[in-house]
Amino acid sequence: MNIVRSIFRNPPLLTLTLVVAVWVIASLTLRGFGNYGHLRYLLELASVIGIAAAGQTLVVLMGGIDLSVGAIITVTAILLPLISPAWDPTGLVGIALALVIATCIGLFNGAGAAFLRVPPIIMTLAMATFLQGLLVIVAGGSAVTVSNPAVILLGQSRPFGIPAGILLWAVVSIFVLVLIHRMPIGARFLAIGANPLAARLSGVSLTRNTLLLYSLSGLFAGIAGVLVLGMNRQGYVGIGDPYLLTSIAAVVLGGTSILGGRGTYAGTIPGAILLVTTTALITVVNASPGWRSIMFGGLILSLLLISGRETRR
Amino acid sequence: MTDAKPLLEARQVFRGFFGNPVLKGVDIALYPGRVHALLGENGAGKSTLINLLSGALQPDNGEIVIDGQPAGRYSPASARAAGIAVVQQELSLTANLSIAENIGLGAFPRRFGLIDYATLHRGVRDVCAMVGLTEPLDMPVADLSLGRRQTVEIAKALYRKPRVLILDEPTSSLSAHEAGVLADLMVTLRDQGTALLYISHRLNEVQALCSHVTVLKDGKVTGNQSLSGIDGEGLVRLMVGRETGDLFPPRSAAQPTATRIMVEGFSAGAVKEISFSGRAGEIVGIGGLVGQGQEDLLLGLYGAIPAKATKAEISDRQDLPRHVQAANAAGIVYVPADRKHEGLVLPHSIASNIILPSLGRLARHGLRDRSAESGLIADLARQLTIKGDVGRPVQALSGGNQQKVALAKWLPINPSILLLNDPTRGVDIETKREIYLMLRNFATEGRLVIIASSDTPELVHLCDRVVVLREGRVAAELEADAISEEAIVGAAMGVEQAGAAA
Repeated sequence: MNIVRSIFRNPPLLTLTLVVAVWVIASLTLRGFGNYGHLRYLLELASVIGIAAAGQTLVVLMGGIDLSVGAIITVTAILLPLISPAWDPTGLVGIALALVIATCIGLFNGAGAAFLRVPPIIMTLAMATFLQGLLVIVAGGSAVTVSNPAVILLGQSRPFGIPAGILLWAVVSIFVLVLIHRMPIGARFLAIGANPLAARLSGVSLTRNTLLLYSLSGLFAGIAGVLVLGMNRQGYVGIGDPYLLTSIAAVVLGGTSILGGRGTYAGTIPGAILLVTTTALITVVNASPGWRSIMFGGLILSLLLISGRETRR
Repeated sequence: MTDAKPLLEARQVFRGFFGNPVLKGVDIALYPGRVHALLGENGAGKSTLINLLSGALQPDNGEIVIDGQPAGRYSPASARAAGIAVVQQELSLTANLSIAENIGLGAFPRRFGLIDYATLHRGVRDVCAMVGLTEPLDMPVADLSLGRRQTVEIAKALYRKPRVLILDEPTSSLSAHEAGVLADLMVTLRDQGTALLYISHRLNEVQALCSHVTVLKDGKVTGNQSLSGIDGEGLVRLMVGRETGDLFPPRSAAQPTATRIMVEGFSAGAVKEISFSGRAGEIVGIGGLVGQGQEDLLLGLYGAIPAKATKAEISDRQDLPRHVQAANAAGIVYVPADRKHEGLVLPHSIASNIILPSLGRLARHGLRDRSAESGLIADLARQLTIKGDVGRPVQALSGGNQQKVALAKWLPINPSILLLNDPTRGVDIETKREIYLMLRNFATEGRLVIIASSDTPELVHLCDRVVVLREGRVAAELEADAISEEAIVGAAMGVEQAGAAA
């Protein structure tokens, strides 16, 4: 009884328990679900959501929201093949350039929020719309095929049988967890998220942290974009769109308060896996895309209700 | 008067939170035509008792009795129906609505399903006249000062024509004049047969207004008696359960030394072109009516709001700090008046609140040094006698302990200038004494302490020098023997005082 209660009180653990339960039940009932290859495939899909949600987790912790995540993924996936210089055989220069661009877009979001005092939800939405228009002009609606060897390697290689994307997600996870729980900046993000005024009067710079925060979110979205490109081998307008809502859903499923100030990336990780698993299950039972969205919404709502996490504020 | 039946009673009520008992069998009876005082230190259970009486909380055990009848399923709605109104300590107004709309909220007169503004304004005008609210009724509450909002809050309670009126620290944000109007109003209501329950930390108000007192200590009633024949000392003894001695520490004999702050032509927010200075080793008080620029003076010196000065010298620097980090780097710290919104990150733990300004300093190679942090936190908790587990969220603490946390977080940076805004508001007497002693020690150690306060005795007995602000300008600067309640209040109200050097 006590164990059950402590699981219900701990959102990351609750989400993780749910993932394990769903995996066990689905493996026993559905043929092929429990295969190593299938589970590995689920994790590989989850890694893109997980990486995009890394930045989103930080932003939500600080009380904001980033609606440009999907657009930044698309920008990275489309621009990377175009800007990778031909003289660089490794392709790393192209990746670095693309990530710098993604980070700068994030920095722009942060500047709008910090200096112009535009609410983050408006700033990032406007940015997303702006980028989408720009991409239609640049890419003209056609898909861009990648030939950058580093990106292809990232999307296709399996060192020790583990897809490189999952390894990349593991590295990102460790970095984000350390940032939130072991670095001063993580504590500052949380303090700003819970009470920006008190944080400011305690000597925490809102400007500096806002700029840094949205830059990080842009960077992580950029990394997710590189990974998506590697897995798809093609970039096209709209490739990043599915990752906007899933990144927010993964954060919320992981128990991070959408109001800011409370939560952890440790919950977002199982949150991302849960989302992918649910999608896979819904595909197995042959539900239509309409039902898929309805079940998504129902799942997020019911998880929130189970843990009752927003009520105690 | 005493043979009348009580309008509202609590009988042997118990109430706990998360297994932590707050009220342990409390009785209280409110009679018509009597002003009843409820006293107790912070954390004694006053707020919980009020919430039980107003139906906001249900007792775990015991009952609420209205007109001799047990209330049964008691809710805020049934409390309102029974004519019980509460003026909350925490303001419950909606900033964007007008004065009239706020006062009528929840009890709007209707016509054809729409709000009948004519009737509303008529009803509201009456209660506004009673509380001395002269602002236009369609003015948004957001445009009012804190004291005027409190007055609207009182009018809102009166609008429902209550038989029982509960006032939870109504004067903490009122000016002396507004408090006087409220006192007259209470006398009128009392004579009309309203039962009043009055909660305040200001004992002189309690003595002037109330005829009966219930004292709570640790969730139990330690006194329930008539107020006649009890002096302030006696009341304090009932509250703390022992002799109090002097509340204020003696002034130190040491003379202030080097100038730490010197500004000329200083403007910030409501403050207009004033000169101000402070030396190491002194406690400078800033007085005045509510909202005359006291807060803006502190915030401007702290770099938290835009400020300018024709000449400024602040601890070896020749200019004003442009932002909070610059102020902190120059050894200036600020403790805000509104702990819950400005001073503390409420949902976070005591430990994270204390460590917030020191995070960067304690980090090694970019990572937080947990053992150094917990050592520092334990140290500060001991130094300031913050009791209990430092992992608890600060919102679970009493006002006094919260204030200690708000102060504690600044000690590690060894500040040379402390700016404090009403540091003892809503703080119990025992903690007040601790804070006063701490501030005096800071001064003795050669720091400069600047304290804005709405509590005049505090300015008189604690400070070495008092600057009184009025409409953003210095109305008087009082020193040593010239500091008296009369001089401060007089200057604040604009009355000419002999001997006050303006």
